[in-house]
Amino acid sequence: MPITLRIALFAGLLALLSNLAVIGFITFRTHDEMSTNRVQQLQEQGEALSDVYRSGGLSGLRSAVLDPDLQNDPQAVVAILDRAGRPLVGSLAAAPVLGGPLHEGYLTAKVRRRGDSTGREASLRLMPIDPGHWLLTGRLTGEEMAVRDILERSLLIGLAIAVLLGLLTGGLLAQFVERRVRDIVGVTSAFGAGDFARRLPAPVQGGDAFAGLSRQINHMLDRIATLMEELRMLTDSLAHDLRSPVSRLRSAADAAVSASDERERDALLGNVIAQADSLMRVLTTVLEIGRSESMTARSQFTRFDPDALGRELVEMYEPVAEEQEVTLSFDGSAVWPEIVGHRQLLAQALSNLIENSLAYGASGGQIHVFIAADEEVIRLGVADRGPGIPAERREEARRRFGRLDPSRSRQGAGLGLALVQAIAHLHDGQLVLRDNRPGLSAELELPRPKLPEATA
Amino acid sequence: MGRKILIVEDDADTAAYLTRGLTEEGHSVEHAANGQDGLFRATDGNFDLIILDRMLPGLDGIAVLKALRAAGITTPVLVLSALASVGDRIDGLESGSDDYLVKPFSFAELLARANALLRRSEARVNVDPKLTVADLEIDPLARSVRRAGKKLDLKPREYLLLEYFARNAGRVVTRTMLLEKVWDYHFDPGTNVIDVHVSRLRRKLDDGFEKPLLHTVRGAGYMLAA
Repeated sequence: MPITLRIALFAGLLALLSNLAVIGFITFRTHDEMSTNRVQQLQEQGEALSDVYRSGGLSGLRSAVLDPDLQNDPQAVVAILDRAGRPLVGSLAAAPVLGGPLHEGYLTAKVRRRGDSTGREASLRLMPIDPGHWLLTGRLTGEEMAVRDILERSLLIGLAIAVLLGLLTGGLLAQFVERRVRDIVGVTSAFGAGDFARRLPAPVQGGDAFAGLSRQINHMLDRIATLMEELRMLTDSLAHDLRSPVSRLRSAADAAVSASDERERDALLGNVIAQADSLMRVLTTVLEIGRSESMTARSQFTRFDPDALGRELVEMYEPVAEEQEVTLSFDGSAVWPEIVGHRQLLAQALSNLIENSLAYGASGGQIHVFIAADEEVIRLGVADRGPGIPAERREEARRRFGRLDPSRSRQGAGLGLALVQAIAHLHDGQLVLRDNRPGLSAELELPRPKLPEATA
Repeated sequence: MGRKILIVEDDADTAAYLTRGLTEEGHSVEHAANGQDGLFRATDGNFDLIILDRMLPGLDGIAVLKALRAAGITTPVLVLSALASVGDRIDGLESGSDDYLVKPFSFAELLARANALLRRSEARVNVDPKLTVADLEIDPLARSVRRAGKKLDLKPREYLLLEYFARNAGRVVTRTMLLEKVWDYHFDPGTNVIDVHVSRLRRKLDDGFEKPLLHTVRGAGYMLAA
């Protein structure tokens, strides 16, 4: 059964059930109300006439029964019957059809009033007056029944209309829903089949729940497409960039195999190991980036003094800088006693930045490591006076395997800044590359932690 | 001075390679191929060192390690793992291992680390706080160093380097070990930063003395020895 039909039927069924409930309630209430009224009327009439009998005797009752007001009431039935049930006085033309001996109480029977050609349905009350006479009071119910019939018929027609309307709105609703859902299904299955460009039509803001859903789906598809594109670029460049170290490894092994002199072979084998190690480093860094991006490393966040870390790294690289005749200096923030973060990874990030500056910015003769804080962020940066990176190429520098050095003469796979960026993201921060006029300033910009409530 | 070493490793090739190498070094080696067996033997036998693979079928290495430590067994444990990231290393160390080595590794690196661990358990008995290597004398309490009676003027980091070398005198110490133990960094800096520090220390230590103490071991690292 198609979903449209199902929704329509369901709406129809709901309309039927709710209307039945309403109709049932109305019928019950009117019926109830009518019979209560009738019984009350009969009782009042009977009691009034009994009072007349008690004070005026049979003759009094007789004149009361013949009272024009009572006799002219088109609904009223009043009569004095003899023992056999025949009318002696009153508005009856013939004895009521009681189907049995007379007995006190309420009953429904057909009566024929004087002037009527046929008997009509009436609610009656019989009361014995004395051993030879019965008082019959009552009201014709035919009109009441007619009202009830009309009411019931219109309720049934209303019910039919309601069910039809229910089916109709259900059908329309289902069609609307189905159309919107079909759009979504169409786009998502096209996406699944490889068409990554398709998106759902959706207003940027507002709209109904479907517009919201479409926006969410578009957002998700965008993210998936970006990730897939990144992944594709990553595997492409990984394959491409692993080619050269692997072929270097291969030729080193070749050379070692063909070396005749034992000492020479040892040296060549050492080279093989060195090449394998550098390959391992590339792979480790790729894994490291993945780990940082997956945020699982957050469980290892601790509280520590960033100044101490910076000073320690500067001290560590100082001898290397000195060998390259570069001055390595450090400025701490002094005002910022501690941050919460991954000490090892931040150390690795800073060390990557220092190594980058040593490799590409050493010509400037100065490398400055600094930690600075302002109202919003804390910056861990390394600035050099080298050639820098032109603004239009900075994005490329951040990318995995993005290497700006055209000759690719230096060792490395161009993963350094990508790793630093991943580490910055892990800390909800970013890697900012600035013009140091001249030179490059690479800074990890991390949000300033809320110190008082921060816990490590 | 053979010692008892337990290798818990499911890869038969690696296990055979380690067993052969360590036996050649004069140690007696036992091998367990899975976590349960490893845990059983480790709690049963009296080993001087356990080399534990991190990824094992059944009970994994970290679980074995935690169970061992929970049982109060303090045998030094060297964890081997293909998981190379800084986070994985820290996880490994925090779960109670004494050292952590990433696969693939060179046998020289493994041996150097294994010897350092074996030596450390020996050194616990040693009450003499002074470290002596040939004519070099180190006083860890005063943080002072003398060679042939002459006081050497070392920077704090140079002192820590030398103390680590001296505690592992006669054994190979790799660059990664220095980075981890002296600087407490668990990443690979990729440049020769460690070499530069060692060569600075070497100039202060050996310049002007006839016999060098700090040696480079090709393809492995360094060694402090007479």
